[in-house]
Amino acid sequence: MTARTISPNLVHRWYRVALPYVLAILASFLAAGLFIAGMGFHVLRAYQTILFTSFRTPYGFIQTLIKFVPLTLQALALTVPMAAGKWNIGGEGQLIAGAIGATAVGILLAGLPGILLLPLVLLGSIVAGALWAAIPGWLLYRFRINEILTTMLMNFISFSLINYIATEIWPDPAAGHPTTIPIAAAGLLPNLVARPPLHMGILLAVLAVVLVYIYTTRSVGGYELIATGANPRAARVYGIDVRTLSMLALILGGAFGGLSGGIEVAGVHHRLIEGLQSNYMALGILVGLIAKGNNLAVPLVAFFVAVLEVGASALQRTMMIPGEMVIIIEALIVLFVLLSDVVERR
Amino acid sequence: MDTPLVQMEGIRKTFGDVVALDNVHFELRYGEIHGLLGGNGAGKTTLMNILYGLYHPDAGTIRLRGREVRIRSPRDALRYGIGMVHQHFLQVPPFTVAENILLGTLPKWRPTSYSEEELEKIRSLAQQFGMDVDLQARVEDLPVGVRQRVEILKVLYRGGDVLILDEPTTNLTPQEVDALFQSLRAMVDKGLSVVFISHKIREVRAVCHRVTVLRDGHNVFTAPLEETDEETLVRGMVGEQLDISTSFLFSGKKELPPPPENAPIRVQVEDLAIAGDDEVLAVDGCHFTIRAGEIFGIAGVAGNGQRELAEGLMGLRPIVRGRARINGIPVEPGKTREILAGGVAYIPEDRLGDGFLPRASVAHNLILGYHYRPPYRKGWFLDWKLIMRTAWELIREYNIRTQGPDDIAANLSGGNIQRLMLARAFAHPMKVLIAHNPTRGLDIPSMEFVYRKLLEQRERGTAILLISEDLDELMFLADRIGTIYEGRILGILDRKDFDKYTIGRMMAGIPAQTG
Repeated sequence: MTARTISPNLVHRWYRVALPYVLAILASFLAAGLFIAGMGFHVLRAYQTILFTSFRTPYGFIQTLIKFVPLTLQALALTVPMAAGKWNIGGEGQLIAGAIGATAVGILLAGLPGILLLPLVLLGSIVAGALWAAIPGWLLYRFRINEILTTMLMNFISFSLINYIATEIWPDPAAGHPTTIPIAAAGLLPNLVARPPLHMGILLAVLAVVLVYIYTTRSVGGYELIATGANPRAARVYGIDVRTLSMLALILGGAFGGLSGGIEVAGVHHRLIEGLQSNYMALGILVGLIAKGNNLAVPLVAFFVAVLEVGASALQRTMMIPGEMVIIIEALIVLFVLLSDVVERR
Repeated sequence: MDTPLVQMEGIRKTFGDVVALDNVHFELRYGEIHGLLGGNGAGKTTLMNILYGLYHPDAGTIRLRGREVRIRSPRDALRYGIGMVHQHFLQVPPFTVAENILLGTLPKWRPTSYSEEELEKIRSLAQQFGMDVDLQARVEDLPVGVRQRVEILKVLYRGGDVLILDEPTTNLTPQEVDALFQSLRAMVDKGLSVVFISHKIREVRAVCHRVTVLRDGHNVFTAPLEETDEETLVRGMVGEQLDISTSFLFSGKKELPPPPENAPIRVQVEDLAIAGDDEVLAVDGCHFTIRAGEIFGIAGVAGNGQRELAEGLMGLRPIVRGRARINGIPVEPGKTREILAGGVAYIPEDRLGDGFLPRASVAHNLILGYHYRPPYRKGWFLDWKLIMRTAWELIREYNIRTQGPDDIAANLSGGNIQRLMLARAFAHPMKVLIAHNPTRGLDIPSMEFVYRKLLEQRERGTAILLISEDLDELMFLADRIGTIYEGRILGILDRKDFDKYTIGRMMAGIPAQTG
């Protein structure tokens, strides 16, 4: 009886979940097509470039996978606290803190063998990101200061901090840009594919998604996270320590933000470079919002956005269309997906 | 005089997919008190909101004194002489009674607020209908019963001769109910007509001349009161859902086996004082104990500290003075988890706000408050196999209409949310139950179900704190009743001494005479 009642329901639900996304993507491409045409470019060729660059060459595909990693982790930095109803707009600062943590470990403990150093480098980034988020978390816990504000302000502090470390603590005098000396080779992420090089960060990102999924759907702590997000008042009435949980949720989100920074150092740049955060936080928030906080949808959406991002740079290179066009498409997708919620409620 | 005053014919009203009223007829004669009886969701209030111009019917006609009219707004309704007193009063609390009554009736250009002439008119109305009220008192300082009189006077002052009262006895003491009924009789003697919306059969029988019963948005019947009895009215309200012959709500059986003497004390409250939201003491020196197998009722007009008392006992509010122990565990703020784990089930008053997780699944909701202990908890994880199995069982047993435990709880209707909360509270073993207005908003079969469950728990030795604004309910279920007024318990009566007027006096703040 159970199976019979569930299955049509599930089919029904898949259809309902997927439909708004398909419509949103179609609508946003349509809208962006008008812009592209208005600017005098060939619309179909632009679409082709945006969507298929990732799949045409091994290089494009690897690039996509490399971008997929920080996007996924930054999205988790948003969605995990979001499950408890808290907004972490500090993924960028947490990424930088994590990158600094990883660099510090990679330089200071340079003598350790790889089997120890690499885990420590990654751990350093996780702890640093978590601590960075713990400050807004504690301010929220202790003084009920709005976390949106504090997490975001912490980003600005991190910009100065990375600058200081890259110019004063471990500067690389040969670089023309604030950059530290490289971390020890033993602390680098090994490659999964040699040429073009793909580091193992993608495994960590997928692992993170799996852990978050298990945590939120199976564990007691994850249950409390969801209960708090669903109705903090009711959660408190039924014995959940909502304040502590909100703080922990931000810290957990910060850990993922930090890990994304650690992977950028250990997998991509091999050193701390000012500006290594790129626009990953904004894209991560985008991913989290498009996924509507659903952690299983996060990697799918992150991959899709990574495809668009790789397509964007090709768009600029080959067709001279500004890559920002892709950001417009992404933003439109978010708007249309959020709009679908409103329509659904009617 | 053969044409009725109001005739509503073939009224239909839908809200989205929900048909609230379907081809409903209603007729009000000159000089009658007409009871509009039905359970929750029967459509009583919707029907009268249409007559009052708040809603527009999808179909149907309204005739007033034989002439078809269109009532587009409450202002229109008042012009036709139709006034309505809702359950929530529309008053300006810092204004005086006179100001509230006159509000909107005075010419805008006049510099002074009102004249002696206008006051005199109000006074004569008040006197005529026995509605004693101090015109210079500020509305915010008045008890509910008096505020209701203000609301009625507002309608009368505007020349209303059709008065619609929506559940007017909610939150009145029995004495105030009697006074209201007398005023209503005085009004119809002077030729006014009254629609009395209620779900309480006893009150309809006490004051109405005729009664119209609605169920699920349909007419059941309209009859003079003499031609009905309690059973026909119950039958009309609930249909075939309830077997009246086995119902103890209507069996007249009011005997409870006495609670066991010397049973262990489960709840002990000593000189308890709890601050309200505005830092003023909302509970100020409560004393009582509840033994295993006993139902202790708290009576009182809403807002006299009931909510704070329940929340204080659950560890949700700071305790300013005194102490309380539940199952031997001292109650302290922030100890909610320990209190629950000690075997306490809690049914909060505000079910949606304090007990419901709309964005989580039905299964999530069913284990809230039980999720952190066995059997649901296994180490760091939840035993979802058990949870799903239990959830399916509860959905069946409590007749929760949902697609399954995975369904998002926000998809549930109001009645199903209530059943979900009850399932959560009653399905798990407990030693103490704190229930605040557990039957509010329930239809009669569900009410009956809750009463059964409460008595079943009592038999099993659960100590029950039943806080209710429904005095009939308390007198029916409780072993003892304490009456709370402004945060103090003015007196505790044993079941043999229950008397609604004695309790009513205490609800109004007059302490019980001793000796």
